This record gives sequence, C-alpha cells and structure tokens, in this order.
Amino acid sequence: MFSFVVDYYLLVSVAAFGVIQVAACLGQLHGLVLLRSRRATWVLGLGLAVAAAAWFFGVEDRNINDYEGGLDANIQALMFFLGASTAYTATLALSSVVNRRAAAANPEPGEGLAGLRKTTFARALAHSLSYWRREWRTRILPYLSG
Amino acid sequence: MADADTALLVWLNGLAGAFGPIDSAARVVGSDYAVPAAMGLTILAQWFAGVDSDDRMRRQVGVFVALTAVALASWIVFAGNELYFRLRPFDAALEHEVMVLLYRPTDSSFPSNSAAVAFAAAGGVWLISRRAGLALFGLAIAYGTARVYGGIHYPLDILGGAVVGLVAAAMAHGFWRLIDPAPAVIIRAMRILCIA
Repeated sequence: MFSFVVDYYLLVSVAAFGVIQVAACLGQLHGLVLLRSRRATWVLGLGLAVAAAAWFFGVEDRNINDYEGGLDANIQALMFFLGASTAYTATLALSSVVNRRAAAANPEPGEGLAGLRKTTFARALAHSLSYWRREWRTRILPYLSG
Repeated sequence: MADADTALLVWLNGLAGAFGPIDSAARVVGSDYAVPAAMGLTILAQWFAGVDSDDRMRRQVGVFVALTAVALASWIVFAGNELYFRLRPFDAALEHEVMVLLYRPTDSSFPSNSAAVAFAAAGGVWLISRRAGLALFGLAIAYGTARVYGGIHYPLDILGGAVVGLVAAAMAHGFWRLIDPAPAVIIRAMRILCIA
C-alpha cells in the first residue's frame, strides 16, 4: 500500500510538472518556463507526462482493489493534490533560479500569474509583497472587490 | 431495458480475450488511475491557460467548479448506494460467463462511480473550455466503455453515472454562481501571492 501511494504521488508530481511546463508555454508565462525553445518545452513537458505514465503502468500491475493494496478514492484525491502542489512548488522554485538572469520588468500589483510573462515568480512575489505591505490599508478592499 | 442492458454487456464483453493488445489497453484505460489522473492534469492545465487576466480568472473559477462537481458526484453515488444495490455483472447469474479484465469491485454496480466522476470533471471543464471539455468527454466515454468491456459494469451503470456526473457539474456551476463574487475574491487574494 505504502509503495503504491508513493508510486502514485511520483506519477502525479512528474506528470504535473510536465503539464505545467506546456500550459505555461501556451499561456506565454515565460517566467515559469525552464527552456527558451517552445518546441523543447513541449518535448520536455509531454515527455515527462508520458514517461511517468509508462513507468507507473509498466513496472507492475495496477489493477488492485483498495483493500488488497490499491488506493481508495480519498487517498487518490489527496495524493493527486499533494503531487500537483509539489509540481507547482518545484516549478515556481526552479524557474525562479533558471530565469534569474533574464530581463525583467516589475508586474502590476495584483496581476498574479500574468506578471510571470515579464519576470520570475521570486521577483514578482517580492515586488507584490512589498507593494501590498505599503498599500494594504488603502488599496486592499477596493482591489479584492474588483 | 434490462434485457438490452445485459445483451449489450454480453456483446461488448464477449469481444474481450480475442485480441491481447486491446485487452491490455482496456486494463489501462479502465483502471482507477489513468483516466482520473489525465482528467486531473487537464483541470490543472486550465489554471495556467487563458489569453488575458479575465479569461484566466474565468478558467480558474472553472477549476473550482470542476473540483466541486467531482466531489459532489462522488457523494451522490455514495448516498445512492445506501438506497440501491446492484450486483456486478460477474456476480450476477447471467447465462453467459463474464470475462473480468479489471479487479473485482465489491460496491454497487449502479450507478458507476467512475463514470460519475469522469463526466462531472468533463462537464465542469466543458463550461470553461469547449475543446478541453470535449476531449474529456471522449476520455470519459472511453473509460466507461473499457469498464463494460472489462466486465465490471453494465452499460446502464455507465449511463446512470454519466447523468449523475452531468447533474453534479450543473449543480456545482450553480453553487459557484450563487456565491459570486466570492470566487473572484479568492482568486484576487491568490494573485497577491502570484499563484493564480
């Protein structure tokens, strides 16, 4: 059971990392993408997802009932959430390091992911937190209410 | 209706065992992991998609809708199973022997929880992206077909699950519209941390 949980967590983490690379490339979120070439990003992203699936289904039989060592729906949902969160966190951290020397412009406050078209997550977060620490008393309510 | 249901199962499951590669594909597609993971990853991709800030927010609200739909569909099936139990095809006394390609579940055959969750996810995604939604409907149909082919569901179980899933998607959509503008406030708060 434990090994199955770990295997599923690894499947989701690796596949989600690949999917995020492709989705960020499509959304032109350059600050999240690890490779400069669009084609290389697609190959990396889809390659990771396919390799993770091939490994997961190739190494052993996954047709196991949950009371015989398989995963019940709740554990599966939890592991998917943890795997996807790991992939997202790894993407934010790695892309901030890899793209640290790229040209950057400060994003608009509250731009969110769209700001990662111009800069890395680490820079965007630092800029955003610094802005909202200064301005939250007057700007936070109008901002949240749109 | 029940006769047609059984006849369709016997015909589809009767094809199992004839061609090894198709059986292997049905074991993967019909398993508990391949299609649900693919659907989860498609929902995740929607979080990053979008041509501009408004489009991305619409898709991110859609992610909340899809996740709520999946949870709701699962709960409806769970509650329904307390009221009605249908034996799995391999446990029912059919005239024809059923070839089982997947593991033998012990819960109620009707409605199919797998189909309910898959159609709920597809319905939720279809509301935000027609192309991705149609792809997921295709996956959901393949998932349901593989489980009938694999001998663990009747076609009517899949149909029942699909109806539950689509109703759950509509209810989830209604719920998030009802609490508007809460979803936008949540996403704007996440944008301060640059994660949405």
